[in-house]
Amino acid sequence: MRWNRPIGLCLGLLSLSLHAGPRATPSPEEGPRGTQALGKTVPLLPAFRSAVARIVAADGRTLAAAVWVGPDGYLLTKASEIPELEKARVQWSGDRTAALREIRRLPALDLVLAQAVGVKEVAYTDFSQGLPLPSYGQWLASPTLGGSEIRIGVISAQPRAIPGLGPAMGIRMDEKPIKQGVRLLSIAEDSPAAAAGMEPGDILTRVAQQPAKDVKTVHEIIRRHQPGDLVTLSYLRDGESKTARVRLASRTRIMMNWDGEDFANGGISIRTDDFPSIIQHDLPLGVQDMGSPLYDLEGRAIGINIARVDRVTTFALPATVFWSKIQPLIEADRHPTQALLPP
Amino acid sequence: MSLRSFALRVATLMGTVVALACHAAAHDTLAVLRGVQQRVQTLLPQVRSAVVAIRIQDGTASGVIINRSGLILTAAHVAEKPGKELRVVLHDGQVVRGTTLGLDKATDAALVQLLDTERTWPHVNFSRAVVSVSPGDWCFALGHPGGFDKERGVVLRVGKVIRHTANSLQTDCVLMGGDSGGPLFNLKGEVIGIHSQIWEERDHNMHVSMAPFLRSWDEMKNNLVIHVWGTGSGGYLGAAIDMNSAGKIEVLRVLEGSPAQTAGLLAGDLVEMLETQPLRSASQFSNAVRARPAGEEIQLRVRRGEVVRDVRVKLTSRPKEDEG
Repeated sequence: MRWNRPIGLCLGLLSLSLHAGPRATPSPEEGPRGTQALGKTVPLLPAFRSAVARIVAADGRTLAAAVWVGPDGYLLTKASEIPELEKARVQWSGDRTAALREIRRLPALDLVLAQAVGVKEVAYTDFSQGLPLPSYGQWLASPTLGGSEIRIGVISAQPRAIPGLGPAMGIRMDEKPIKQGVRLLSIAEDSPAAAAGMEPGDILTRVAQQPAKDVKTVHEIIRRHQPGDLVTLSYLRDGESKTARVRLASRTRIMMNWDGEDFANGGISIRTDDFPSIIQHDLPLGVQDMGSPLYDLEGRAIGINIARVDRVTTFALPATVFWSKIQPLIEADRHPTQALLPP
Repeated sequence: MSLRSFALRVATLMGTVVALACHAAAHDTLAVLRGVQQRVQTLLPQVRSAVVAIRIQDGTASGVIINRSGLILTAAHVAEKPGKELRVVLHDGQVVRGTTLGLDKATDAALVQLLDTERTWPHVNFSRAVVSVSPGDWCFALGHPGGFDKERGVVLRVGKVIRHTANSLQTDCVLMGGDSGGPLFNLKGEVIGIHSQIWEERDHNMHVSMAPFLRSWDEMKNNLVIHVWGTGSGGYLGAAIDMNSAGKIEVLRVLEGSPAQTAGLLAGDLVEMLETQPLRSASQFSNAVRARPAGEEIQLRVRRGEVVRDVRVKLTSRPKEDEG
């Protein structure tokens, strides 16, 4: 595969840094597509708002959005943004929070089903009325920022499947074999490897507890994982042994963004590909809004926002691909099979 | 995976502060939104076949066919220079050949001609009523961000005009690399802009308006490159105007030897209409003047006290010492 150089955006990056002076920027409310665009005339807003929750890390960062799918605290969120779900909490209706219990990960859909511990009564979204599949140009709305704002946009492309190229961490490796392991030649900007502090010249010795014998072996180990998985690296820097944990991302995400071209977007999801079916839309959402529900203007739940891909692209999973799988999981969790007692 | 994008230029805006003339937040009702949706969904099948992807060397960009013999509007930073061969991807994936004509580097406007002029190409109309575009107007952008992708199709964005200057439009239709040269439409399905530049915020998307195209049409058709605003810089009236407290466009000062003086305008006159267009803001008036070529005669409806009369003024080009 050949990746063409995005000439202008690199130049653009330079001019951006030169011109990053103070700028008058409208608040979201002033912009024509902010909350005020919908105004109070939309009777569905209160329902939209209470449907969404935030998944919050121990340090207070919002990791993703979530949508309530059962009155007794069942929720869905984006799996790859939350590898350690039970260390996080769910926050909703302003300041209410609860601990989380992980029920099932669905790697094919990048969803995780969880339950807010001790929550008895929440307004939840029923995705069973999400048919028919919406079409090009149709308005959609999503609650964002924990429900404090509603944003609108349109279906902007044809629904389709997004093939996956597997996970990556954003490293280029030296093919030349050396005794200790594999030498890193370069690190992609804003990549999992960069976030973990890896540098060119580091020598990988182990990846996920397995010896990093050569380039091929490293690729094979990585390929056995999913984007979003945490992987431990052991490496040598200036002869000293070190370890780091990296969270793998989609290979497409890293290749499209090798030199940090994402500057005019505001973040890309860890996993952006390998979905059986998606709706593409232009809602102004961020990475932390993934996991939030998506409605049409009639108030029908159409799907779940699943990947922020680039400045113009967000993918949502249509309700038809996940709802029939989620219902039985919730039922089974509510009524665990009783082991039959011997007579 | 398709070609990685030919990039949009990132705005190198004059000065460091961009004063956004943000219109008052409109409260769009569901009925308005449904009306917009219906218009866009009606127009999309009609206009999308005229939107093309353009491949040059390693990059990819967009363009729009505006007549049956295959003339394409695109951005100057896509075309780069006249006489350049390029490949054009039609909506169905068919690849045809084209060549760049002239371009206006000062405003980022350019023309491309498809080589086969005998064929009837799918095309759209563009708006000649440049000044009728106002902040708050609904619009939609089409293009091939990141390059042509048949499975995905052309990418639609619906938004509003945020700002209108002499040569450009700013909208909240988000753009990225690969969109460069693609069309911005009004809700009549006419092209009103060509995607040109982005800034970091999501509502900082700049499009070349139709003004530079209309002004420099013949030059661009004849393979000329416009680097600075010479004769192409637009009409000049030579009167300082502003909106007064009563909301009228008032002449504040008339410059010595200017077309405004020749036409007999005086400080204190109120300008009510330009041709048949009622004037609602000072910027609308000055943009309308600058969008016209030097040499064009315009008619102004002027009120002086109780007397209203129509005045004809022949615009000139801006004097050299009057920069900015």
